[in-house]
Amino acid sequence: MIRAEGVTKVFGPNPESVKSLLEQGKSKDEIQSETGHVVGVNNASFEVGAGEVFCIMGLSGSGKSTLIRCINRLIEPTFGKIILNDPEHGEMDIATMDGPTLRRVRSQHLSMVFQHFALFPHKTVLANVVYGLEVQGRDKAEREELGKKYLEMVGLGGWENHYPDELSGGMQQRVGLARAVATEANILLMDEPFSALDPLIKVQMQDELIRIQQELGRTILFITHDLDEAMRIGDHIAIMDAGKIVQVGNPEEILVNPKTEYVAKFVEHADPTGVITAETVALPFSDRYFNRVGEEAGNQIWNRTGYTDVEFHVDTNGHLAKMRCEGNDVALHELEEKITESGGAPERHTDAAVHCTTDTILKRVLRGRAYSELPVIVQDAEGRLKGIIDEPELIHGILEKHGYAQDD
Amino acid sequence: MNDLIPMLSGSLGNPFELIDLPVDDWVTWFVDWLVNTFRDFFRSWVSPPVKTVMEGVQWLLTSTPPLAVLAGLFVLAWRAASWKVGVFAVVAFAFIGFMGVWDELMTTLSLVITSVLFCLVIGVPIGILCSRKDMTYTLVRPILDIMQTTPPFVYLVPAVMLFSIGNVPGLIATIIFAMPPTIRLTNLGIRQVPGQYTEAATAFGSTPRQILWKVQVPLAMPTIMAGLNQTIMLALSMVVIAAIIGAGGLGLLVFQGLNRLDIGQAFVGGLGIVLLAMVLDRITQGLGEKAPGSRASSDD
Repeated sequence: MIRAEGVTKVFGPNPESVKSLLEQGKSKDEIQSETGHVVGVNNASFEVGAGEVFCIMGLSGSGKSTLIRCINRLIEPTFGKIILNDPEHGEMDIATMDGPTLRRVRSQHLSMVFQHFALFPHKTVLANVVYGLEVQGRDKAEREELGKKYLEMVGLGGWENHYPDELSGGMQQRVGLARAVATEANILLMDEPFSALDPLIKVQMQDELIRIQQELGRTILFITHDLDEAMRIGDHIAIMDAGKIVQVGNPEEILVNPKTEYVAKFVEHADPTGVITAETVALPFSDRYFNRVGEEAGNQIWNRTGYTDVEFHVDTNGHLAKMRCEGNDVALHELEEKITESGGAPERHTDAAVHCTTDTILKRVLRGRAYSELPVIVQDAEGRLKGIIDEPELIHGILEKHGYAQDD
Repeated sequence: MNDLIPMLSGSLGNPFELIDLPVDDWVTWFVDWLVNTFRDFFRSWVSPPVKTVMEGVQWLLTSTPPLAVLAGLFVLAWRAASWKVGVFAVVAFAFIGFMGVWDELMTTLSLVITSVLFCLVIGVPIGILCSRKDMTYTLVRPILDIMQTTPPFVYLVPAVMLFSIGNVPGLIATIIFAMPPTIRLTNLGIRQVPGQYTEAATAFGSTPRQILWKVQVPLAMPTIMAGLNQTIMLALSMVVIAAIIGAGGLGLLVFQGLNRLDIGQAFVGGLGIVLLAMVLDRITQGLGEKAPGSRASSDD
């Protein structure tokens, strides 16, 4: 949908002059002390697919806000291409297009949500929401109909004629969001949209965004300094440090395999339970960790090494046929069913176990453990036994953000 | 050695005796040239529009029955500011009427309305141009300084030479004197619009013209209104001076009163001007506070 190729922004009197220094791979600090030029963004490349939420995350001063402004040229990039794939016109380079084309692209393909909302204080909520449509030149009736529809979508139906200063911060950003989606642009640039909000409102707004995104399926470029936020809403995350993108990956990849020390430092304090999957933390079902202790009715019987009281009966297809604890058969349940059933205080079963798929997040697995004291069974999409998650795996997974297998 | 002391104490010690800049001659020559060359141009192109507007406004105000003027004034003040200002405006105008100088009040009011109208029509576009380019403002600024600081008496003479005596030269002098705040504050107001709003407008694909009219001018409105307020006050302060060259109204009462040492008449004229100033001030302040752009101040 949109692709950045080597986007670079240098601030200073003669930005072009530092090109050779950048090519030599000099750092932001070196260039600043040698030439006085500030490198805002250094050779950033990434691609965002249609319908994807792509988070760019970094601390303040890492260049993320500059980068997102280079995409719609609120800031002119010094070097690089920004390729927009427009279904009507094919591939276009935003970085080199002329003024009128740029305005058309901004008005029809790229809309933006701002950190401090930037709602026009002299316009009503509805007039704010339809601003982009007004610029597009749509007639009044159509504007108002669309405006009301999107206000309704962000939960602000009935607030049309109020002014922004009569709304709370969270509500103002809902208006900001409605204004951005109302233009029906397929790409949404969001510059730390929830950073100025209270923590509780922030989480609410994230949920709201996820819900709206499910409904509309826009392509979103989302800037944030909050890793948990990026992990929650991003399909992919790019981490920026001193103007450079240091790692791109999906949330679990970033969490489990931080490439640089900088990324590792970020990840250290992130909450892994919403990101890490059962597959990552599970003790893999292999003869390295399990002992074959016999056979019964055509099924092989396995023990976890060192734990003889639980038996796993595996059939020839690799499915778990039966599970036994201290000689008694154990009932097997779907994890999600048991989570929804056990609403109140957990009654921990010793005669029942739950099974889940490999992509189940750690948070769900933990809930499953509240239902049963026995290990959680991890199965792949075909139902084959992939591994188990017992207390040691859970603890290790939460603390170290990866499984035992990766330690060896 | 002996010659040095008298030299120092004489022409060398005082360099001003060496060179005599005949600026007064130059100005006389320039004004003569200006008047001879442009008198016809000014009398046939500048004078008529000012005169027509002035006469139109005056005709409207004097042919309307005073009671209707008072009613209109109340509605205007109430809508622009508040009903309290409306009551105050009506009481003030009625008081002036009861002092027996209603016609003079209407004349002064038409002088003020006309000159302020021209100040806005000319000043706001210049202010907008100044806000777009630093260069423009750099050029315009010294002209504004000259317009504002030159004592009005100084340009009354060329005004009379160009337009003869009467209301028109008074109006022209008033327009020149009262326009700078409109230009300055229009420029300032637009420049002060926070960058985040213009950035947002740009991000949605607005043209520079759309940004100007949909975002910058509305948000600058409170400041532009403050400029209007100052322009009105300056225009009022000119009415007495303009009376010297034949402009009528309350200013003429003051001027004649002073000439004849008729303190009573001068006081009546002066009081009328003060009350009119207060009424116009409250109304325009209300306009500034009610401008939609004034919501920007309560927003972060």
